[in-house]
Formats: sequence, C-alpha cells, structure tokens
Amino acid sequence: MPDGRRTRGAEWSVTLPSFLWLIVLFVVPSVIVFAIAFKPATPYGGIGAGWTLDTIRSLGNPNYPAIVWRTIWLSVVTTVACLLLSVPMGYTMARAPKRWQNTLLLLVIIPFWTSFLVRIFAWKMLLHPEGALKRSLVALGVAGPDTQLLYNSWAVLLVLVYTELPFAILPIYAAAEKFDFRLIEAARDLGASPFQAFRSVFVPGIRRGIVTAMLVTFIPALGAYVVPDIVGGPSSEMLGNKIAQRTFVDRNLPEASALSALLALAVLLPTFGVLALNRGRNLLAPKSESSP
Amino acid sequence: MAEFLEFENVHKHYGKVRAVDGVSLSIRRGEFFSLLGPSGCGKTTLLRILAGFERPDQGRVFLDGQDITDLPPHKRKVNTIFQNYALFPHLTVRQNIGFGLKIAGVDRSTIEREVDAMLALIQMEDQAGKYPDQVSGGQKQRVAIARALIKKPDVLLLDEPLAALDLKLRQKMLIELDLIHDEVGITFVYVTHDQGEAMSLSDRIAVMNRGKVEQLGTPTEIYEAPRSSFVAAFIGDTNFFEGTVAEMVGPDYSRLAIDGFPDVVVFNDKQLKTGDLIYLSVRPEKIRISRDRPEQGAHSNVVPAHVEDVVYLGSHTKYWVRVQDYRIAVFQQHNRFLLDEQPIRWGEDVFIRWHADDGFMLERYSESDERLMGTPPEEVGESDNGAERAPTGTDGA
Amino acid sequence: MKRSRVPLYTTIAVLVFFYLPVLVLVINSFNASRFSAGWEGFTLDWYRKLWGAREIWHALRNTLIVATVATTVSTVLGTTAAFALHRYSDRLQQLHYLLIYTPLVIPEILMGMSLLLFFVAIGFELGLTTIILSHITFSMSYVTMTVLGRLQDFDWSLIEAAQDLGADWWTTVRRILLPLLAPGIAAGALLAFTLSIDDFVITFFVSGPGSTTLPVRIYSMIKHGQPPLINALSTLLLVVTFVTVWLSQRLMGDKR
Repeated sequence: MPDGRRTRGAEWSVTLPSFLWLIVLFVVPSVIVFAIAFKPATPYGGIGAGWTLDTIRSLGNPNYPAIVWRTIWLSVVTTVACLLLSVPMGYTMARAPKRWQNTLLLLVIIPFWTSFLVRIFAWKMLLHPEGALKRSLVALGVAGPDTQLLYNSWAVLLVLVYTELPFAILPIYAAAEKFDFRLIEAARDLGASPFQAFRSVFVPGIRRGIVTAMLVTFIPALGAYVVPDIVGGPSSEMLGNKIAQRTFVDRNLPEASALSALLALAVLLPTFGVLALNRGRNLLAPKSESSP
Repeated sequence: MAEFLEFENVHKHYGKVRAVDGVSLSIRRGEFFSLLGPSGCGKTTLLRILAGFERPDQGRVFLDGQDITDLPPHKRKVNTIFQNYALFPHLTVRQNIGFGLKIAGVDRSTIEREVDAMLALIQMEDQAGKYPDQVSGGQKQRVAIARALIKKPDVLLLDEPLAALDLKLRQKMLIELDLIHDEVGITFVYVTHDQGEAMSLSDRIAVMNRGKVEQLGTPTEIYEAPRSSFVAAFIGDTNFFEGTVAEMVGPDYSRLAIDGFPDVVVFNDKQLKTGDLIYLSVRPEKIRISRDRPEQGAHSNVVPAHVEDVVYLGSHTKYWVRVQDYRIAVFQQHNRFLLDEQPIRWGEDVFIRWHADDGFMLERYSESDERLMGTPPEEVGESDNGAERAPTGTDGA
Repeated sequence: MKRSRVPLYTTIAVLVFFYLPVLVLVINSFNASRFSAGWEGFTLDWYRKLWGAREIWHALRNTLIVATVATTVSTVLGTTAAFALHRYSDRLQQLHYLLIYTPLVIPEILMGMSLLLFFVAIGFELGLTTIILSHITFSMSYVTMTVLGRLQDFDWSLIEAAQDLGADWWTTVRRILLPLLAPGIAAGALLAFTLSIDDFVITFFVSGPGSTTLPVRIYSMIKHGQPPLINALSTLLLVVTFVTVWLSQRLMGDKR
C-alpha cells in the first residue's frame, strides 16, 4: 500500500465513525456509572444534585457480602461445569467427519437462536413443582414430594449452565478444529491412555479456546439477572437482581450505580488477569500477524 | 543515456531490515530480465516497487523516460502476474481477462474482440465461461497472463509464476513463457529463486543477495565469470581456493601460491599484483580426472589428489577428491561407453587438471556463501551444507 | 486403538439437554391444560388467543422497527471498523480494538445500567430511540468481529491485481472488495439482527412506556402468568427462527 500522509487521513476517516460512537455511547456511560455512585438519590427516583459518599457507604449493607459471594460462587461453578461439558464436546465435534461437523455445529447453535427468555421459561415449566419432570422423579423415588426443583440456587445453576454452554462450546470447537489430532495418536503410540492423552496433549493444545470459553462464561454469569429472576428465589439472589431491584423497585439509581460499579470491578479483574497472561503468549489472538 | 527501465539507487527498509539496499539497474526494452536470488534477497520487493505496491524510501524508478516512482499502481503501464495468480473468484475467465479493458472504459464490442483474441492465444476458448475454481493450475496461469497482456503494458512483471506448478507443468510453462515473450516482444521482468528458470529464459540476470545486486550479466557471464563467491556458489557448484599472487606469467596470466598445491596458473583479468591475496573459483565440470599424470602445458594445472567420494549418476559421476586441506568436487561426463573402462574408484590416487582459462578470480569472498552449495558432509554429524574446507584455513572477507 | 466413548456420550447428553425444554415447550403449546401439568387434549386455542392479543402485535412491530434500524446502522459502523482494524495496525487501532472488544465481554446488565444512567443524566427521554441507540452500540462489535474474520481470510493480492490492472481505489472496492466481502457482511448483519430481536436486559433498562419490544412483553407475561400463551408464542418464534436460518443457508449457497 502506498504510504504517506494521505493514508493517515484515510485511516482516521474509516476509524472515526465506530470510534466516536463507542466513546459517546459506551465509554462515557461507563464513566458515568462510577460518577453517579457518588451522587445522592431523589425520592422520585432521580439523581440529586451535589456529591456524597452516602451511596458508597450503602455498599456496606450487611446483606451484600452474601449476595456478592453467591454471585462469584455460582459463576465459578457455572464456568467449571461448562468447561467440563464443552471440552469433550469440542473434541467429539472436531473429530467427527466433515459432513457431520456442520450439522453438529448447527445443532448446537439452533437453540441459541431461539429466544433467550423462552428457553429460561421452558426450564421454569420443566422444573415446576407440578410439572412432568418433578412427578417422574417422585415416581422413580429419586425425589420427595416436597423437593423444590425451582426457585433455588440449583435451578439457577442449571439454567445458567444451559444458557452459557453454547458460548463455551463455540470457542472450544474453533480451537479443537485447528488442533492436530495426530499428536494424540503419537501420545497413544508412546503409551498414554486415552485419558492421559486427552489431558496432557489435547487440553493444553486448545488452551486458547479454553481461556476464551472461560471468559465468555464467567463474565456473563457474574452479571446474570434474568435467570435468577425467573427461576431463582430469594435465597438465590445475585448481584444482577439487586441492581435491577434498586433501579426498578426502589427507584434508587445512585445505589444501583454503586452496585454496578462493584460488579464492573469484579468483571475487570479476571479480564485484566487474562490480558496480563496474554502478553507474549497470544491467548486472545485478535488478529493475524501483520507482515512488514 | 538512460535505458527503457531504470532503477536509480533504490532503497527500501522495513524497520531495521534493509530489503533493498541501494539498487541501480538498467533494463532494455523488449528484454527478458530476471531478478534471481534466495528468499529475502529483495527481488520481490524490487518488483513490487516497480509495480507500485511499495514506495522506495530513497531512489527513483524511470519507465520510458518518465519518473513513475510516485505513480500509484493503477496509473502505471506495468502489469503483474502474481504468484498465486490472483484471479477474481467471482468473475468468469472471460470477465477476468477483460477486466482491465472494462475498467479503462473500452466499449463492449472491442473488449469482446480482444478477449476472444487472447482466449485463442492461450487456447482456452471453450473455457471462457468457467470460474477460476473450475480450471486447472496451468490454465489459471494462462488466464493470468492473458489478463495482464491484454492491456499491452510496457513491462510485464512475473512474480515466481511457476512456483506453484508441479515439475512437468513447470517445464511446459517455461517453454510457453519463452514463446509468449518472443511473440509479444514486451519487456519481461521475472522474479525467481530457481536458477534453472532464470538461466534458460533470460537475456540478462541480476543476481541479488541481501538487498544488493551481486552481479548483473547474461546467463553465460554469470555462470562462467562469477564476481563473488555468492554468485559462484548460488548458481551451480564450484570449488573455492585461497592463495596469493606469486608472480606474473606474461601479460595475461598469474601464478598463484595455494597451500598444498603445486603452482597454479590462472587467467588474470583483474590487474592483480604480486603479493595480492586472491580467491579462486573453478567449477567442477572444468576439472578433468585421470589415473595417469597428464601432460603439463604452460597453461594447464595438474595436481595430484586422493579420491574420497564417488557418486555415480549414470550420465556423469561426481568425485570428491582431497588435496591437502581442500575437498574438491569434480564432475566427469561419460562420453564413451563405460563398461569397457575401469572407472576410478574410492581411495585411488589420481590427478586432476584444469586449464588456466577455466579458473576465475573473485572480487568478493565470504565463507558463509559456501553453504549455498549442496555438498555431502565429510562426516556423519556435520551439517548437511558444511563448508568444503577443513577448519584450518583462514576465513575470507 | 481403543478410543474412549466418554466424549461422545457427553456430546449426546448435552444435545439432549439442549433440546429437552424446547421440545416440552412445543408440545405444551398444543396442550389444553392451563398449567401444563398434564396432557389434557390437543388444542389450537392458545394460538387463537395469541392472534388476537394486540399488545403482542404492537411489541412485535416495535421489535422489528428497532432491529431493522439498528442492524442497518451497526452493519455500516461495524464494517468500517473492521476495515480500519484490518488495514492499519498502529496505536490508534490498538485503542480502537479495545473499544470494540470490551462490549463483547461485559455483562449485559452493566451495559444496560450505564446506558440508562447516561440517558437519564443527559435528560434524553426513554423510548424507541434509546433502544435503537443501545442496540447499535452492542451489536456493532459483533459485526466487526464477523467481518474482520472474513477480511483476515481475504486474499489481498486480489486488490493488488485490480489496481495493477488499472482500477483506482474506489473502483477496486466497488468491483472486487465489496462483492467478495458481501457474504461476510451479510453474516454480520444477520447476527446483529438476531441479537437485536432477542435482546432483553439492555432493552429492559432503556425502554420507556409504550416502547415495549417482544422480549420485554414476553418477560412480563412470564412474570404475570399466562404460561400457555407464552408456549404458543415461543413455538411460533422457533418456527420463524428455523425458517430464517434455513433461508439464509440457502441464500449463502452453503459455502462452508
């Protein structure tokens, strides 16, 4: 490409539209979240004038630590469960004959194309105390008549895994597809059992996909709102619920803002952790190497 | 007086890497000119500067008297055949060939006519409606050529066009390229790392290494009179000797003192004086090998040697013989029926001889250039392109 | 060589897990029972009720308006961003990439919250416009990533060949780059459209009265009963999705 001052102008003109838009509608609102955490609330659900530390102090609410802890805990378990399921799945999919791979991929993606709310609602129906599932479990003697499948942390966990799993499978599959499976054969040839080969050759080989899968599972789980709202109960409240409650029920925007800031910090930590690990190890690989 | 195509002191660097390091070349109108060298030598960069895809940091490019250095590629009367052909996948063969004319605003009927003529030239009339992914590699090659030639450019650039073809096809396309050049008569600038292609097709070759032109000349000049150890080693094979000028022998010859050798005489075209350090290159096919001591003429060099390796290849045999620190390659063609004779075998003591005119003195020598030649290692464990000389020699410049 | 069956069984189990609730939903949409407790006979009543539910049609209309506008704008913005990121690789683009990438990894609730606060702070009334602006903001990045992936696979020598043959930059873009990139851009647009139609959390935070979209309507239906109607609606949505996917596969000509 001919270089020179001309292309500098060309570069700015291609970059500016998206750049400006995101500055105004993404960066600025994000900053505002942190700013409003220092403002007082008006009784009518608005934002008051002046600045105050009261809102920040409200974070000291004794209910919060349990909620935060539960949010982190559920997110971790969800992520682990998703990984445990998606890695063998990615393995199977990548090893399947080419014709099948597309079909399998479609099978994984299609539920994702149905409405998010609808899928959660479907689980609400399934797990309903008078639903078919509960009644079959009781009939099988696995559950008692009082066992609650719904409105608790287990339901939330189950549905979180359900909604996040496709997001975990896709990057794992993408990495597995590029994996050279002859390495597994070589390991087997040298005496490794299937599990050993899987663990010491395959898993490290797709570590980029695993890191991506962890990111796209853990972070949305941290911010989960709809799932605990629909299939969870008071004992399974997550940070997202609290933020929504403060916004829509209590009409206290500054407190909601403070909580959001807290959530944002919780999200930033693993992200920066990954970025720090990424230096030199190219785990996120945004784009191919550019030639001189 | 400037030639048709001139590179004037062109420099191009990427960061610290000097891709093109002060190249000046003159290419004549209608010439088949090759840029030959190993990968990374700068030949492709130079070609891209000519095409307009790169701007030199320094230096100018002139085409037919006009300074085209700052012209964008679409304004130059230069067309390129890309290594991967770069045929537009969403256009048919016919549309690909006619693309340049369509862009130029030529009317429909003229385009039809010209494209038909091109299709006839490349013998693909019945494939005109096909898409690039439906034709073979050789056919893609031809479509690329037709697409470029239809615009009647001043210069046609070819970027390693035969690299993606298999051997048989490559040989066939070599001949076709030659024929096309003869028929069309425009200047070809051909980039390759394959010396066989360059030697067989070119009127002149520029041998490049590390951004510089090592030597510019006809294939024969390059081969028979290499200026540097790089050219001598990159093109074909050779033997290198190091010594000093002992005395002059007449106005045209010098006697050299080389460690372990009796007096060696060589044609002196470099005005060297007694005492000068020199490096000598003698190609293996110029050396004769025999059991009996041959007659020694005033200008023939005869040296006793010991046979270390023999590789029989049917039409010829390669010998590696030892003289003191030197391991010398000798190629012997078998002109006569061999079974009646007693071929020279491993371990024999022999004589090698070559004529003073067949040796050539180098202007530049670098020991690392010896690695360019594919020679068998002296022992197991040596790197497969090990230097021919045992480590006791002094190293070159 | 003996291969473990565990990965295969896991895959099958997961696929069953995926489709089970969906199947139950579809079946129950024809179930005459009000609470989907047991099968009480086949009926199309719920579909009939759905047909007459005006709020749902209104919500659907809003959803389509939002999706169409948001997809158009975000496709344009996302495609230009992909060009910039692919063609240049200086500091500006590194920052640019960070801006594009981050919305993809933060939870929706944070985005919804921040946009709500933003609109409140500048006094912008919540309604269809705020929804559209928000949708553009989050779907742009998806378009960028999709198009960027195609650009990275793009054979740049085709651009050089076009220029070599006399085409200036605009002609090259028009005749070579865009036609070959069109499937990628279309894929990005389709993704943006799908995301917009299905978005709930962000929309919930920035919508005002009278600007309900379909997901928001579904949410309130879930919260306030009427399960069989939701079943019927969900089934219909499923059918629409399938048809759309099938259509787009046909249109894309099955290239990979």
